[in-house]
Amino acid sequence: MSLSKAKLSRRKFLTLSGAALATATAASSLSSLKAVASSGTQSESTNSKGRKFVYSSCAICVNKCGLVAEVNNGVIRKLNPNPNFFKSRAMLCARGNAGAKVPYDPDRLKKPLIRVGERGEGKFKEVSWEEAYNYIAENVLKVIKKYENRSAIGFASTEGFQEEFFIHLANIVGSTNTVRHPTLCLASNIQGYSSVYGTFPDADILNADFVVMAGSNRAEAIITPDTIDMAKNHKKQTLVCIDPRATKTSAIADKWYPIKPGTDLALVLTMINIIISENLYDKEFVEKYTHGFPELAEHVKQYTAEWAEKECEIPASEIYWLAREFAKNAPQSVWYPGRRSSFYVNDVYYRRACAILNAIVGAFDRKGGLVPKRGIKLKKHDFEFPLYDFTKKRIDSGTLPFLNEKLPEEFKTSAGLPTDSCAYISEKDGSWVIYRDAALAGNPYPLKGLFVYKQNPVESVPNRKKTLEFLKQMDFICTIDVTMSDTAFYSDVILPESTYLERWDPAESLGGIVPIVVTRQPVIDPLFDTKSMHQITVDLAKKFYDMPEFWEDSTEDDREYLKKYIKAMDVPMEHLIEESLSGYPGAFKMLMEKGVFYLNDKPVYGKLLEDGARLKTRTGKIELYNVKYAERGLDPLPVYRKPSQGKPGQFRFVVGRHGQFTHASTQNNIYLLEAYGDYENALWINSKVALERGLRAGDKVKVISKAGEQIVKVMPTEFIRPDIVFYVHGFGRLSKGLSLVYNKGASEAAILYDYAETISGNACLHETFVDVQKV
Amino acid sequence: MSKKKYAIVLDDSKCIDCKACTMACKMENHVPTGLYNYRIWVAEKPIRGQFPNVKRSFQPSQCQQCENPPCVHVCPTRASYQTEDGVVLVDHDKCILCKYCMTACPYDARYVNEEIKAIDKCTFCYHRLPEGRQPACVETCPPKVRVFGDLNDPNSEVSKLLVEHETFNLKPEKGTKPKLYYIR
Ligand code: SF4
Ligand code: SF4
Ligand code: SF4
Ligand code: SF4
Repeated sequence: MSLSKAKLSRRKFLTLSGAALATATAASSLSSLKAVASSGTQSESTNSKGRKFVYSSCAICVNKCGLVAEVNNGVIRKLNPNPNFFKSRAMLCARGNAGAKVPYDPDRLKKPLIRVGERGEGKFKEVSWEEAYNYIAENVLKVIKKYENRSAIGFASTEGFQEEFFIHLANIVGSTNTVRHPTLCLASNIQGYSSVYGTFPDADILNADFVVMAGSNRAEAIITPDTIDMAKNHKKQTLVCIDPRATKTSAIADKWYPIKPGTDLALVLTMINIIISENLYDKEFVEKYTHGFPELAEHVKQYTAEWAEKECEIPASEIYWLAREFAKNAPQSVWYPGRRSSFYVNDVYYRRACAILNAIVGAFDRKGGLVPKRGIKLKKHDFEFPLYDFTKKRIDSGTLPFLNEKLPEEFKTSAGLPTDSCAYISEKDGSWVIYRDAALAGNPYPLKGLFVYKQNPVESVPNRKKTLEFLKQMDFICTIDVTMSDTAFYSDVILPESTYLERWDPAESLGGIVPIVVTRQPVIDPLFDTKSMHQITVDLAKKFYDMPEFWEDSTEDDREYLKKYIKAMDVPMEHLIEESLSGYPGAFKMLMEKGVFYLNDKPVYGKLLEDGARLKTRTGKIELYNVKYAERGLDPLPVYRKPSQGKPGQFRFVVGRHGQFTHASTQNNIYLLEAYGDYENALWINSKVALERGLRAGDKVKVISKAGEQIVKVMPTEFIRPDIVFYVHGFGRLSKGLSLVYNKGASEAAILYDYAETISGNACLHETFVDVQKV
Repeated sequence: MSKKKYAIVLDDSKCIDCKACTMACKMENHVPTGLYNYRIWVAEKPIRGQFPNVKRSFQPSQCQQCENPPCVHVCPTRASYQTEDGVVLVDHDKCILCKYCMTACPYDARYVNEEIKAIDKCTFCYHRLPEGRQPACVETCPPKVRVFGDLNDPNSEVSKLLVEHETFNLKPEKGTKPKLYYIR
């Protein structure tokens, strides 16, 4: 047991500090949120009479589209798009529209709950907030004492405006073990692109002439403004869709290539080869801004179109066309960076290659190409959280002997893929699958308490069986959510959060080609006995502050720091928003009156190409050849490796999105479920293959993988390759509190295998092979 | 005041079947839940060809606001009627749910609203128009597949689109003269 403080550097976190503001606090604190109704009826607060329009922003997915809520006598009548909100091009998607019913969802959590039956049995009793807080505080203390380790308590969360307060809570408790969503989403993307550009750029779809969407399904996985620009521009822009499924994106594409899964890197390297060998690259740009071109040119010579045709199952003639058109349209050419990138063990190298392709044609930081995000700097102050003796370094970092097991057989000995420690794990995000394995192994130490906010690891992390074991071995689990997620269902205490339409959220800068600032204000008063994450953190901080035992491994100074934190944060959110915007006169007003704040609505290009500008890479240049990778024994240039293969008769299981669903969070919304068109999901299987196997639409099959099995009905289709199968995420749920999807259809997490990409720590969602058997 | 003639022009080649229109309509017009309850729908056009030579495309639709509406002609109670500006509406109080109009409509545009015990269908969000607001589906559609306006105003966007583009109506042979125009 190491008690040495010297080993740790004081962790500093950026947060709003309201030291000056604390005294100015008015009486209208949001801490006194009260239950005003118990059954979904409207609140009766006095200012709710009549019809009003309130600006806020959607929180059903990551885009935060601007909305104007029409509220009648305190009841939401409709959410309308905010016409000023140019990032979302003045629209709301189906989910955003259905959000009007979210506060009134009968499945909402209405009061704090404490488990009374066995874990997972679903028996809870309603308790007061005070009781719930006491229960949490006691259990946190118990875990800290028992294991003499504050990092024995994990914190899992996903993206959202209130997530920062949850991270504060982790710091107050003194744990380093925060795990966030990126390794289930885009960690390898960020790593790959950043290793070339020093940043993860956006795509200027609005001005691009040639766009390649490979494995990105922007029609269904809506990202604003990209989805909208792409659909609007499809007649004047060439859109190429590369995907083993004909998704709805293929409907607006000029060409669709059903590529063999896992071979995209072969295609990109070949395109690079063609562009270089045919002298189609931007010589001036390459000369001036890149590092390692000669090495790249030599390296890609092996990747010919004739070779790639066999790997990718795309005709060589088409590959030539693709490469030549991409170069011809440059710099208005985009190989779309996508988001979710947790596909294969080789993902970081694939993302690197995509970035390199754009770089050699000069389509970086120029109109119509890849453009670095810009942001609007909000006022944030350093805040020092207590430093405890019992804090240890992350559970998923450093040398982990079991890491080799996270790679498929074929890749265990590969040079270029780390086998005993993850090369670039993010300190705040961690790696979900490695984190879970470390906890299960108790290596390097036990992880025995868990806080979960807004995330639902049971359905969002591959290999559900393992997640359930991970939860089972916990001494204590607390979940904060708006509905009874599967994870909440397996928790010991559940805190109900107010929905995004019932609370203030801090102002956030949304980075992009044109950055904006957004916030949320309550559209209605909270319907039930719920609180915001902000309030929960402040309340728990107070609890911990008052517990002398909580401070035994710290100093009086540390406790004082927490006091300062509480003082700064225990103020109405409006104050924090105003303070964060105080650098911009009129900003708060604009935010309230237009629902958005921006400095400029025009894009700016070329900042990183100006004389004297340096990229955040080792050489300061675009690293076609990555210097740091070379030093670490990783491949400095992307090397193609054949994807792993299933046994004869098996299918690769691919994952994908649907326009009605945000991950696993909107299937239990009756409106969205019906817009999806069915009350359960179905297995996409190629029509011919289905015929061969005697499977007809509606037949039930068992889908069996190394991780588990699920029963699902069959949907034969022409829109999928014969060697893969697919069903949509978020069905077959375990929580009885999700009345519409409990036990309906098939869960994805239950069958996905949990390999890891060991450079970024990403889960590999496409490394699962399944047998399909008629039942 | 000159009479208006409202219409919607759609460029369905941009449609991504996101169903924002369906959902906005459900919220705006209190369309009850139920798989078959909607005023507005998005259909996948028939698939031609086999893997890998297949192409997907979608067609959003709704009540065509026929100039010559059979639904109005057959309605025994005059619950279904046409406004001055050519919008076909249903007076819910007068409806006796005989469903003659449902049978008469060639576009299958009507459904039974069990909550109000009457037939219901698209109204072009008639209640929004006096406030100068667009129909909810038009306002929310991400790529703006739909454009709403007055055909009697030559400067309206719908009139311009009809001049600039070749368009077609659904089932013209039925002689209903729809006011939904699809860009070819
Ligand atoms: S894309 Fe849809 S769900 Fe996402 S923020 Fe916008 S309206 Fe909401
Ligand atoms: S909202 Fe627009 S793009 Fe979406 S389904 Fe409707 S018409 Fe198509
Ligand atoms: S589409 Fe059907 S319901 Fe609408 S006006 Fe025409 S006939 Fe009547
Ligand atoms: S169902 Fe109602 S609207 Fe339709 S014809 Fe009968 S009375 Fe008229």
